[in-house]
Amino acid sequence: MGNLFKKLGLGLVVGGVLVAIAHSQELPFSFQVLFFIISLVGATVFILLDARPLGTMSGGKSLLAVIAFWIFMLTVSVAGPSLLPQFDPEDEKVKIGKLLDKERKQSAQGKAEELIARAKALDAQVKALEDRLKGLGGSQPAVASQTPLTGEKSPAAASASAGDFMKVGEEQWQLQECYNCHKLRGEGGKKRGPELDNIGTLLTVDEIQEKIANPKSFMAEGYEKEWQKGIMPNKFKDLMDPKEMQALAAWLGTFKNASVNTPKPIKKN
Amino acid sequence: MKKLSNGLLALMVLFSLCVAAATNVYAQESGVSSVEFPYTGNRTAVWVVAQLHILFAAFILGAPIFIVISEWLGYRKQDPRYDRLAKEITKVTVILFSMTAVTGGLFIFVLLAAYPQFTTSFINQFYVVFAILYPALFIAETILMYAYLYTWDVWKGEKKGRHIALGVLLNLVCLLILFVINGPTSFMNTPPKAEGVSPQDFIAAATVWTKIANQSWFPLSLHRIDGNVAFGGFIAGMIAAYMYMAAKTQEERAYYDWMGFAAIWIAVGGSLLQPFTGLLLAYEMCDYDFSFCPYMMADQLSMFFEMQGVMIGLLFLAINYYSWLSLKRIEGADNVRITILAPIVLVVLLPATMWVMNTYWIPDPMSLVFLLPLAVSPFLLGRFVPMTVSARTVIKIGFIIMLLSDAVWLTPAGFVATGTDMPDEMKLPEGWDFLASMPAKLSAILTLVFVTVVNFILYNRTIKQGTILWGKIDFAAQFVLIFLAFTSTWIMGLMGAVRSLLKKYFHTYSLVSDLSPESFTPTLSYSAGWITAITVVFIAIVSVAALVALRTSVVRVREPEGSAVPIAVK
Repeated sequence: MGNLFKKLGLGLVVGGVLVAIAHSQELPFSFQVLFFIISLVGATVFILLDARPLGTMSGGKSLLAVIAFWIFMLTVSVAGPSLLPQFDPEDEKVKIGKLLDKERKQSAQGKAEELIARAKALDAQVKALEDRLKGLGGSQPAVASQTPLTGEKSPAAASASAGDFMKVGEEQWQLQECYNCHKLRGEGGKKRGPELDNIGTLLTVDEIQEKIANPKSFMAEGYEKEWQKGIMPNKFKDLMDPKEMQALAAWLGTFKNASVNTPKPIKKN
Repeated sequence: MKKLSNGLLALMVLFSLCVAAATNVYAQESGVSSVEFPYTGNRTAVWVVAQLHILFAAFILGAPIFIVISEWLGYRKQDPRYDRLAKEITKVTVILFSMTAVTGGLFIFVLLAAYPQFTTSFINQFYVVFAILYPALFIAETILMYAYLYTWDVWKGEKKGRHIALGVLLNLVCLLILFVINGPTSFMNTPPKAEGVSPQDFIAAATVWTKIANQSWFPLSLHRIDGNVAFGGFIAGMIAAYMYMAAKTQEERAYYDWMGFAAIWIAVGGSLLQPFTGLLLAYEMCDYDFSFCPYMMADQLSMFFEMQGVMIGLLFLAINYYSWLSLKRIEGADNVRITILAPIVLVVLLPATMWVMNTYWIPDPMSLVFLLPLAVSPFLLGRFVPMTVSARTVIKIGFIIMLLSDAVWLTPAGFVATGTDMPDEMKLPEGWDFLASMPAKLSAILTLVFVTVVNFILYNRTIKQGTILWGKIDFAAQFVLIFLAFTSTWIMGLMGAVRSLLKKYFHTYSLVSDLSPESFTPTLSYSAGWITAITVVFIAIVSVAALVALRTSVVRVREPEGSAVPIAVK
């Protein structure tokens, strides 16, 4: 028992010192807990190293010991990972839903769903026509549809459309997870790719689109190694349709913050 | 027993062939709607069956390597224990061979039921592999496996070399199977591509060989080969532990103590290579598409890798704890000493490697220029330094270094489920962020491996200078063996999930989308529950197989064939 208390005490002291150092260095609380746990694991290891040998068990006693050991291992292996931060799949589901929307619609199941939706829409139209006919027959005129007869758009509608186009671009930035490598508006990026807040000044929208479609077409100054290794995946032209890519390029083209040092792109291919 | 086992295997082979045939017929059908698996959902149903199949397959592909090494060692050292170990594990392998076929067939059925359109198109992509190569090799493996088992007692003595050669041939077929089936598996992660051509057009024009020899095929195969050897060893170690616990005589305990020891050291050989082949696989995946890298290390899967660090850290601690317990039962172990350079290098290695890796990141050969002389200095220069330290002290220092390495390995950039939108208060502050870098992680791995190698050398030196008291090992060592088998199986499950999840919302990355509502990254907690369940089922079946295969032979050894009573009296 002396061994146990001595080692455990030492583990607690070492853990306490580590927590104090981590705290003084402003390491987040979760890191302090990590270091404390590791020092306790260390204490356990040294308790085991100097523990008295376990006597040989046989028959029912060894069977019970094995079962108890298994229960312990299973509990730890299920509970342990649950203590770590959990990624919320709901966020990803929304993203994937948007990414796969077109394909899902094109698939057999999607087609069936579309047919059902069309049938429902037709049904609604029929009902609206019936109402209209009833209205024509009565004293008050019924308006079944507000749909304009011409294809012309009002200026307000055109502006809304441009706004939607930019929204598509911003959405593509999120869906294609460009933020994993590029910093923009002070968010994202892990130095894997250049910061893009001033990209609109350095490249035209067409050039940005060219870079997205063919990552080897431009090389950011200071990113020679990354360019040579082909760090930027050459897959976006297959993952986005031309309109989406155009929207992303147009949205990026609006970033003209000269105070941010976006590296100069050099034309390559 | 033999008849039962024969019949079972024949049935399984027939079943597998029927499955292959049914699959081909089914592949001709189109527009089949999928089945909805209750409770688990389709993806988890496929995951459970696929992972179980992979575990059995890993064992039956890895165990023959382990078995032939053991048989060869027995022949070379003229030590019958190695031969007995090899034969006993072969018996277990033969039973588990049937389970591999059963789960393989089940896997195809579940896959077809859950994802009929993808499965049909996938089978069409690799028709030659699934309809010709794989079944042919599987049949060849079955024949060789049986021939190997049943010629054991016939080809002995002078003919032993012939038997070992048969084992080597069996291994070659096993390796071929592994390489062949890894083609379609790795294809799903890294389908070949070319610049200027759309992935669909490129694949439509590609040959089967181009599809098989994709970027992650070879690294995955290498990783699985050493992984399978290690896995075979750890499972054999667990079998030895159970048999030790059930042993009735000191002679049996001595044998199963030795078996656990031999199995673990073969497993350690494979385990030491695992981190490096795993790193090579990750490197190739990131090279194929860099977005895999942040997805693994900084985004949705970052906590999966945190868990991997925990489990591998525990695995290495357990391996070294087992060698510590083994050392305790060696008479004269207290007198073994080693040069003082060994503990000095142990202490210096982690910070030195971190500095070197930060300055000369792989594959820069300059890193080797610094690290290699440091690592080998105790062994080359040790004899010129008169000061020595006891082996026990060095091992204890090694444990402290391992704990420090674990701490480095487990320190992430932030304890958050995804690196996206990570708040500043969760991040490692600047100046400490080097702990979360890849060079730091690699340094931690290298140090863990180095400590284990030093302990192995010390252990060997102790064996030469002392006497091992077989059967006298601390009983706690048997729990360590069980723990090692559990942990290695669990890690395989975890990394199998990671490899599959890397495809994100695709069945075949960037080629075939998974349009089902289940194409998202599940939580670590959910995954851990299923991984644990799969591990339990696998180990329970292995334990039953070991019991069936080995208890009878133990009884036979205990009660020698023939009767002590004179025939005339009967």
